[in-house]
Amino acid sequence: MTAILAQRAVPRDTTLWEWFSDPMTWGGSDGILANLGDTVLLCAAVTLFAILVAVPPAAFLAHKGWGEVTSAWVVNIGRALPTFAVAAFLVPVSLRAGYGAEPWPIFIALVLLTIPPMYLSTYVAISQVDKAAVNAARAMGFSERAVLTTVELPLASTVIFTGLRVAAVQVVATEPIRAFLGGDGLGRYVRDGIGQNNATLTIGGTILIAALAGTTGLAFSAIERLVKPYGVRRLRSDRSPRTGDTDEQVGPLEDGEPAGSDAAGVGGLRQR
Amino acid sequence: MSTLKAVIMTDDAQTPAIRLRGVSKRFPGAKEDAVAAMDLDVDRGAIVALIGPSGCGKTTTLRMINRLIEPSAGTIEIEGRDVTNQPAMQLRRGIGYVIQQVGLFPHRTIAANIATVPRTLGWEKARIDDRVRQLAEVVGIDTAMLSRYPDELSGGQQQRVGVARALAADPPVLLMDEPFGAVDPIVRGRLQEELLDLQREVRKTIVLVTHDLDEAVKVADRIALLNVGGVVEQYASPDELLRAPANGFVEEFVGEDRSMRRLALATVGDLPFEPGPVIEVAADPAAGLAVIDEHRTDWLGLVDDEVFLGWVPRDQVAGGGALADAQRYLPAAQVAPSSTLRSALEVIMTSRTSVAVINDDGRFRGTVTLERIRGGLAGDLDGPAERAA
Repeated sequence: MTAILAQRAVPRDTTLWEWFSDPMTWGGSDGILANLGDTVLLCAAVTLFAILVAVPPAAFLAHKGWGEVTSAWVVNIGRALPTFAVAAFLVPVSLRAGYGAEPWPIFIALVLLTIPPMYLSTYVAISQVDKAAVNAARAMGFSERAVLTTVELPLASTVIFTGLRVAAVQVVATEPIRAFLGGDGLGRYVRDGIGQNNATLTIGGTILIAALAGTTGLAFSAIERLVKPYGVRRLRSDRSPRTGDTDEQVGPLEDGEPAGSDAAGVGGLRQR
Repeated sequence: MSTLKAVIMTDDAQTPAIRLRGVSKRFPGAKEDAVAAMDLDVDRGAIVALIGPSGCGKTTTLRMINRLIEPSAGTIEIEGRDVTNQPAMQLRRGIGYVIQQVGLFPHRTIAANIATVPRTLGWEKARIDDRVRQLAEVVGIDTAMLSRYPDELSGGQQQRVGVARALAADPPVLLMDEPFGAVDPIVRGRLQEELLDLQREVRKTIVLVTHDLDEAVKVADRIALLNVGGVVEQYASPDELLRAPANGFVEEFVGEDRSMRRLALATVGDLPFEPGPVIEVAADPAAGLAVIDEHRTDWLGLVDDEVFLGWVPRDQVAGGGALADAQRYLPAAQVAPSSTLRSALEVIMTSRTSVAVINDDGRFRGTVTLERIRGGLAGDLDGPAERAA
């Protein structure tokens, strides 16, 4: 409650434009930038922690082909957990244990929210990797570790990244409930706006939250592009060569191939 | 060093390249053995086909050789060395493995796919590049394709890359699990031919699992026919398997048309030369008539300096005019020395004269008749030296 009292009052007749263009809105210890920093920090911590907790065991179990049923159960139970209720429940627990109202309850609730989709997408992605490639790798003397890291993970990476991105966006979109549990972050504008019956604050807050969620999605796509080698990236788009100049080379090569019959037969059928 | 190794291995001809002794496999929870006390010797440089109905343990047997499946009992030796004496990973790097689904790495270029095992073995880059180019040539992949990705290749090309990848580190033993099962029949035929060509060049010991008897007959030096439960019912050359099935199971498996299948084993060129009812075009008509009578036929073939001119019916020969002036028929009943007896039979069945002319690039090389093919079936059709490895 002290946090709310410490904030600068925003008159109700302030327009969105005035609010956003006022430097006072952005700067200071309770400005947008500070709250944005709070939110980003918490979301990043939650996402990284959840990735560390969810992805390695999911990858390992899927590689082994273990725990499919268990995984489904864990995931389903995890999905049924109401994030707000969990966080609210944890606040008195955390207070009693001496850790304060912030940020552990919201951190734990968000981690619990995030682990199931991350775990599930990783597990599914790995188990759907072409078994022929995996078996071939094993038969050529790859260690199990090499099978996982050089075949399964690269081939599963697109699906895994998609899962991580969706989960991260979900974290950003859910993190504002923290403002209703005694914390700050971008959610405080929504909370304050509702509390003060100030639509400008409420809408301004939601715009900020939505913008951050969108940015998060884009950031993950950018990271994905940077991390994945070309051989993996090209698998994602359609299977034909990407540009016109490579396109021209396909025909002559397939036709000029010495065993003409299969270039004409199988190759011709498969080509497009 | 590899050459020296190769010399030593060839000299040591008594030891089979692969030796299975009392090999059994029972999967956890199964009541019956998938493979039961199997003994099998595979000679160095031979192609052995494992064939049988589903559930006969042919793939299980194959996978026990490179320990993708560990046997429950028995020993497996490669080049006289127990496979369990070394780490499985190391063992597998020394054994080529080709599977039906090919299993190329879709995120790696063709070159990188072929280079897989050499890279694992830590070869130098220049050596790997050389080897990749060399193998691309051997299996018939355009080197311009090396920088492409697997999904840009046709099924047949992918399987060639799969073979190249298996051969990359020059392993003495190659295991193939239904290698051509996923491609269409025309490409399959081509790949089988290429495998035989390749084998003449690289001389590997090859164990090949197939469910296609024709494929086994075509490519294998010996066929192991397995029954359900991994029992070897017969282990013999293709011709022996077809000519003398060891028991009812084998007989049923190879089918009632096994004689027809045997005909696919030998070529027209394997038959001893026989001119048939044929005479030089300059010869006397009376001599021609004598040839017709001798062969109890209605047609006389005319030849001019090794070139077959055509068939003349008996009544024209009997008419007494010069043979060169007689009305000739030149039917399409011609076969090449490389044609199988099976295709020769096909030609004969559809020919008016019941005789097929052997045409070796325009040169007359005798004739084939139904009787001669039947005579061939009575004998041993594994004949040609190149088959006996």
